[in-house]
Amino acid sequence: MADGTPSTVPEIVRELNARFGDAAFTLQRTADGMPTLWVAVERLQEVLRWLKNEAPKPYKMLYDLTAIDERLRKNRLGQPAADFSVVYQLLSVERDLAAPRTAAGDLRLKVALQGATTDNFPHLPSITGIYPNANWYEREVWDLFGIVFDGHPNLRRILLPPSWKGGHPLRKEHAARATEFDPYQLTALRQDMEQEALRFNPEEWGMKRGSEEHDFMFLNLGPNHPAAHGAFRVVLQLDGEEIVDCVPDIGYHHRGAEKMGERQSWHSYIPYTDRIDYLGGVMNNLPYVMALEKLAGIQVPERVQCIRVMMTEFFRITSHLLFYGTMAQDVGAMSPVFYMFVDRQKAYDVIEAITGFRMHPAWFRIGGVAHDLPKGWEQKVQEFLDWMPKRLDGYRKACLENSIVKARCVDVAAYNTAEALEWGVTGPGLRATGCDYDLRKVRPYCGYENYDFEVPLGHKGDIYDRIVVREEEIRQSLRIIEQCLKNMPSGPYKADHALTTPPVKDRTLQDIETLITHFLQVSWGPIMPAGETSFMVEATKGINSYYLVADGGTASYRTRIRTPSFPHLQQIPSVIRGQMVPDLIAYIASIDFVMADVDR
Amino acid sequence: MQYTLKRIEPNYKTGVSPLTDDYTQKPQEDVFTEEQVRRNVLTAKLSDLVNWGRKNSIWPYNFGLSCCYVEMATTFTPTHDLARFGSEVIRASPRQADLMVIAGTCFMKMAPVVQRLYEQLLEPRWVISMGSCANSGGMYDIYSVVQGVDKFLPVDLYVPGCPPRPEAFLEGLLMLQNSIGKEQRPLSWVVGDQGIYKANLPSQRDTKHAERQAQTILRTPDSV
Repeated sequence: MADGTPSTVPEIVRELNARFGDAAFTLQRTADGMPTLWVAVERLQEVLRWLKNEAPKPYKMLYDLTAIDERLRKNRLGQPAADFSVVYQLLSVERDLAAPRTAAGDLRLKVALQGATTDNFPHLPSITGIYPNANWYEREVWDLFGIVFDGHPNLRRILLPPSWKGGHPLRKEHAARATEFDPYQLTALRQDMEQEALRFNPEEWGMKRGSEEHDFMFLNLGPNHPAAHGAFRVVLQLDGEEIVDCVPDIGYHHRGAEKMGERQSWHSYIPYTDRIDYLGGVMNNLPYVMALEKLAGIQVPERVQCIRVMMTEFFRITSHLLFYGTMAQDVGAMSPVFYMFVDRQKAYDVIEAITGFRMHPAWFRIGGVAHDLPKGWEQKVQEFLDWMPKRLDGYRKACLENSIVKARCVDVAAYNTAEALEWGVTGPGLRATGCDYDLRKVRPYCGYENYDFEVPLGHKGDIYDRIVVREEEIRQSLRIIEQCLKNMPSGPYKADHALTTPPVKDRTLQDIETLITHFLQVSWGPIMPAGETSFMVEATKGINSYYLVADGGTASYRTRIRTPSFPHLQQIPSVIRGQMVPDLIAYIASIDFVMADVDR
Repeated sequence: MQYTLKRIEPNYKTGVSPLTDDYTQKPQEDVFTEEQVRRNVLTAKLSDLVNWGRKNSIWPYNFGLSCCYVEMATTFTPTHDLARFGSEVIRASPRQADLMVIAGTCFMKMAPVVQRLYEQLLEPRWVISMGSCANSGGMYDIYSVVQGVDKFLPVDLYVPGCPPRPEAFLEGLLMLQNSIGKEQRPLSWVVGDQGIYKANLPSQRDTKHAERQAQTILRTPDSV
């Protein structure tokens, strides 16, 4: 079926109907085929509690929580009336592993909220009591939509500054551009006021200033600290050098990428995706274009799939190399990062030769890639494949077997699989706990089922395992690239489809009709059919997905970017309580995040 | 291996290489020639010497905001090797640094922090705005982004690109060095005019215009 909706009712929908009755839910058809159910706000907590704790093969992970401002949407496609809808996406790793390749572990629940006006905030109950990682997501929805979650322990702004007076930006009545507001000025008065607003107040977080014996020290790490990997702040409550508790503070890197999607055309949004996980390059394009291809019903040629796999694996390698080097640096090894940047340079030579750019090629297109592979690409790729393995062997001796690295990393900041799922951890951080969950194997996309590679796993879930897993992933990526090199299919680099953008050239200059169609498609951009779609990929740092609402226009009605690093940072306090400050530095490095991937 | 033994000569006369055998025969007065003085004595204005020292030992502050910082960090590593130009000593505290590279997007939540860090740099200090976001907001004309860091900081040099290549950053740094070499600053708070005279930097678009226009054959993307 063109819209991807399965013809049979998914198992989980049958189970839910059996438990709560048919009347409790309204089924929505979506282009991504994910079971999507509307549930009444009164029954939300009850349903979620059952799904997490009592359902067979339960949904242990709250994968995403977001909202949609429905007030200006024209094509509601028979959904219940709503001014705002709040979307809960759950993931059951157990269901996925029990039935691989069927995406059986997905479930999306929606709640309709009515009666919202510009200065009236809709309410619904918080689910932080059921899923602890809902905490930050609910704060984000409050911050950007002005939806109140009753019972939330600390509902305050998260991405925008605490002094923000401009309302809730993802509401449709809120202007998008900075140039629509007064020009930014930073007077001495405002400077003092903003600095004061950033001051940490322990009482606001329910923290004590001291124990019975002595006072705690509050240490402000960031928002600019060499070990914080970007504009990230974490306030530590210290008893000596032991971390009693800590509060991560994000939002210093909020670029409004989701709002941006509402004014860029489907096509011209691609460069913005590159800059989400800015170490991931075209890896970010992939979930976005694949979600749109699902919506448009585009089947890409085999050559496109193979090129996409090859380039995304290159970026996995460069990202992991940067992780590896900075990880070593953060535990005191100064040299490895210099060697690894040389390797990254070698990889960038190949990437640049193929895509024409280094970090943000924006090279994937809806229905294909920007160019065909250039003549002589095989030689370049082969050179890199010859170069890299022996370097990795050297790093294994210099880093992984280094006694200081081991002393700093083994058994430090460990968490188990259950805790990882509880906090929404995906990617190498999840696999280091021994959970064999890699989307490339569980739900192969882009033809990953045709490649021979292994998923490296850890068993302790400590910092050291996270390093080892990523190190091994570099080797597996090299294997995949080698297979791409040997088996690159011939054929077109774009799908022959009306919505492929830019259109296939030889279908554009035939007569006045094709000329006009081509002109409109490259100037206004393609018009995607109304509907909802999403796609998840195993990105460099975990699972990255785009949830897109198309309203039959040239731009997205709502773009939701679920990034892996956001929940990873939320997990920090639960892991690091009771450990030492140097452990936190090593732990932060082992998360492998970039702030653009957190704040978007 | 063959060796030649040279004994220490207690009556060794300066200015003549001990490796030349006939140095003892040279008359005494030839040793201190004008040539020798020219080689060993430097006369210059103190301000020029200070500028020379400043421009060749810029210590950048370890500060980054987003993607551009990765390319900035790349210039510190062996392939691009910023150490060739004396600027590899990145400092973790603004109080020890004299250059701040605004590498990345300047967010409204971050701007007061950037301002505070800038104030902590000691004079003389310079600011490079690296990449489109810091230059003008770039792609991000959006509610949370300051449209260019020069809205609240004095910027000495802009490096274009999204992100700029490491080579572009290096070029920018060299241009800043050049300009620092030509700066006129008071040597102390009691000596001379207290103003700072900065060399005007010509726009690279104008400087390179002729060369770029002369470029008529562009490489196709069809081969590597």
